Amino acid sequence: MKKTLTLLAATAALTAAVAAPVWSAMRTGNSPVRPFAAILEFGQDAMPLFLASGDDDDDHAYRSGSRHDDDDRGCEYGSDESHDDDDCGGSAGKAAPDGTTPPPQNGLFGNGTPPVVEIN
Amino acid sequence: MKSLLATLALTTALTLPGIAMARPVTLTTMLNNYGGDGAYLALYVTDASGAYAGSLWMAGSKSKYYKHLTDWDRATSGNTAEIDGITGASVGSGRTLEVTIDLSDALFDAGYTLHIDAAVEDMRDSPNEVSVPLTTDGAGTPVTGRRYVSDFTYDM
Repeated sequence: MKKTLTLLAATAALTAAVAAPVWSAMRTGNSPVRPFAAILEFGQDAMPLFLASGDDDDDHAYRSGSRHDDDDRGCEYGSDESHDDDDCGGSAGKAAPDGTTPPPQNGLFGNGTPPVVEIN
Repeated sequence: MKSLLATLALTTALTLPGIAMARPVTLTTMLNNYGGDGAYLALYVTDASGAYAGSLWMAGSKSKYYKHLTDWDRATSGNTAEIDGITGASVGSGRTLEVTIDLSDALFDAGYTLHIDAAVEDMRDSPNEVSVPLTTDGAGTPVTGRRYVSDFTYDM
């Protein structure tokens, strides 16, 4: 009997450990209930950065033409396109790159695991 | 012994649904050789009513270009918080983007649709380049894009 109770306690704890993050990940951002994941996220800023792919095509993307790929050039010369350049003057408005923060809690991601990305 | 087995069965039954609420899904986007610079791609989901449900991936890190992903931009008002932690490099002409994500089971067979908006410098913007209903039956079936995407597949 004692053994069964011990086993029950252990498995209940295991169930809670698995269910809590999953339940939390399923909550939407509009929910008034604060999800467990939000509590557990404290200190995640210190997580190491995982480079999913070394092929950053941004260096080649939008290089020439009217859209002015080069942020500094666009800001410096005050081109027409730079008036709405939200990258000018710092990193405000830029999205956090993959691996630096957990995926958004939009209810789509099952358990908050970061995506694994590859460009071939 | 009998009670032990019953306990095990009960706890397994309780634990498994939690684990099964998400599954790894690989989203494979193959681009055409369109001959231009790297493409910005927004992968996002709408619900059964067509309302924006959330973003899955953003290929391209410079937010000033997100306005060219017109449908995504309209749905999110360009809010980069929607793509925090799910943003990576743009994808070159002729290359293939593979993103593996733990997706909620609730997205499948429930009327959700995955969309891809695409944009390339000095070329035409292509909102709703790909639009594919998320169903378990549709997994592994390639869907042809309109302009820049050769084909798109999700595998479970």
